[in-house]
Amino acid sequence: MGVSLSSSRWRSVATTAAVALTLLLGAAAGCDSRKEPDLPSVQEKLRESHIWGQPVLRIGVADDEPLMGEIRDGDHVGFDVEIARYIAASLGYEGEHRLEFVAVSTEDRIPALQGGVVDLVVSSFSITEERKKLVSFAGPYFVTTQEVLVPTRHKDTIRTIEDLRNPTYRICTSGGSTTEAELEKNQVRTLVVKDVWDCVKGIRAGKYDAVSSDETILAGFLARYPTEFEIVDMPFGTSELLGVGVPIGDPALRDLVAYFLDKSYQQGRSGEASPWLTAYNRTLGPWLRGEKRQPQPLDVPRLVDFDDKAPQR
Amino acid sequence: MSAAPATAADDPGTDGPPPPVLRTAAPPSALPTGLPIPAGRAEPGPGALRTEAAGGWDQVERRARASQSFWTAVVGVPAIFSVLRLGIEAGGELQTTLLLVANVGPVNLLAGFLTTAARLLSTVLVAVFALGGVLAASGHRLTRRPLFARWTEITPGWFVAASFLMALVTWPLLYLPLLLPTFAAAFQLRPERLHERPAVRALILVAAYAGYLWLLVPTLRDAWRQGEPLPIVLLVAPPLLALFVAGPLPSVVIRPLAPVTQLAVLVVLVWAALPVISTPVLPLTVTTVGEAGAASVDATEEIRGHVVTTDDVNMVILQERGGVRYVPVDQVRGQVLCPSEEELPRYRLRIHDFHVEDSLLEGLGRRVRPVHRVDAACR
Repeated sequence: MGVSLSSSRWRSVATTAAVALTLLLGAAAGCDSRKEPDLPSVQEKLRESHIWGQPVLRIGVADDEPLMGEIRDGDHVGFDVEIARYIAASLGYEGEHRLEFVAVSTEDRIPALQGGVVDLVVSSFSITEERKKLVSFAGPYFVTTQEVLVPTRHKDTIRTIEDLRNPTYRICTSGGSTTEAELEKNQVRTLVVKDVWDCVKGIRAGKYDAVSSDETILAGFLARYPTEFEIVDMPFGTSELLGVGVPIGDPALRDLVAYFLDKSYQQGRSGEASPWLTAYNRTLGPWLRGEKRQPQPLDVPRLVDFDDKAPQR
Repeated sequence: MSAAPATAADDPGTDGPPPPVLRTAAPPSALPTGLPIPAGRAEPGPGALRTEAAGGWDQVERRARASQSFWTAVVGVPAIFSVLRLGIEAGGELQTTLLLVANVGPVNLLAGFLTTAARLLSTVLVAVFALGGVLAASGHRLTRRPLFARWTEITPGWFVAASFLMALVTWPLLYLPLLLPTFAAAFQLRPERLHERPAVRALILVAAYAGYLWLLVPTLRDAWRQGEPLPIVLLVAPPLLALFVAGPLPSVVIRPLAPVTQLAVLVVLVWAALPVISTPVLPLTVTTVGEAGAASVDATEEIRGHVVTTDDVNMVILQERGGVRYVPVDQVRGQVLCPSEEELPRYRLRIHDFHVEDSLLEGLGRRVRPVHRVDAACR
């Protein structure tokens, strides 16, 4: 009898505890379901950024870099332009009437961002420590190397960095570019012009003998004049990480661009057709040697968006 | 509706198994009052015992009244909510409310209500039946039987089961484990029912719980890494609680529990109903409006709101920020459906690729249409 009594008492204590805990858990679940998300959402970041409420997004692109950014039949086309369109559409700017491409030259990219002429720059913009003091970067969205484009008349004579140092050759590059600094570091005397396009025109006119720049830019000119030029692979030290330039005072916009670049990266990793891959295949893909993949963007913030619940597999 | 079976069950002379619609497990006269109640069986309602002493009519009338109040609540609350929602949707404007009333049909309204309120409705029903089960199991220690206990007793079993089924498909996956203790409480199920030998019983329970945990291991690991303790507790604890939740409570507990929990359910109902009645009845869209042939951004306008109706001449849009716009149909240049910010998730946890904040229905829906694209105009 005593055993049965203590067992029934134990049982009623257990039941009381279980009922109390269930009620407590139910209450906790109820409160939890009404909580706001801890992480910031894409919409919140958009509201923080300087483009919120702006009817048109202005993006600085190159207009003279074949395959990357150029004007063909009045339309901006190229890899950078496609990436810019993807970012703009993700930010809520889709269609020609909501998106304005502003042509910026290599040296005008930073002043255009600082002066508020453009909201973003997607124009073969290499991420460097020095530039990071002036503008913010999201990315990289492409990794390229520095190469040299030579006319076919020099394809057997200009093969190494040593050949570039030969004072008889006039080496051309664009001002304010990372290439200029790299050539200087290698003691190559350069003739600096405004754009790579000027170098190519100069070579065709016999004014210069070679031009050095990012492989992506040079591939564009090779695509334009496939019989006149050749790209020479030279062992320049560093790889160039191309990023999207954002005004330094707008970290929210930088976070958003990084988030959407990462979204494309994740899509590509899971084997889907990502916006990056589509842009690459339509522009650079056929002209670059070796397979390229979208690099993983750095400093990607954790944000919540409407499609977070969609199946991942 | 359920008054007739209740009458039959209250007949003290009835012997043998109870009618299927009744959830009182044993006929009252079959048990002497002094004996301990066998475990695993629901106790007979003490009301039935009192019926024997005081005569049946009072009890029958009470049951009929309780049944009426229950069904009035089940049918009436959604109807009133639906109409209240239109007023809120219209932004409190009488003319806008009348416009909505004229254009939103009763079937659409009810369907819209069920879509957004099914979760709340099933939660309230599950809470009432679970508490009712607990209170009914120990209610004989009180002089007046608690309301929820009476409701639970007069409700047909199929209705209780249907409420749990509705909760199963509409609750977020994260909260689904809570259905186990509530189900055990509502039907007063004890582990003793599984098998008569304790060793076999323990084996079955341990195996089932291990299988359950094995299913959840990746999710629990993610939650641990993300430093989210609540999801872990919500997933791990409820099955254990379900083992002990059935059975009578000591009278010292039951006396305060009945009024407090009933009041709490009422408060929670009001608290949780507020967001539900302010949830829109109509879908959120962005409509691009502009003169035909206009190309510049200044010539077009994007109206964010809910389309009330469209006829040959106008599209009537209730704007998100308030006010009704009549847009000539030939000026509409595009329209997209947009998600609302209330749909943003709080957790980054998945159970086998089902998001923990999705219900089973939503999760299955996402399997069928996996690609979700947020249109640029919605930003």
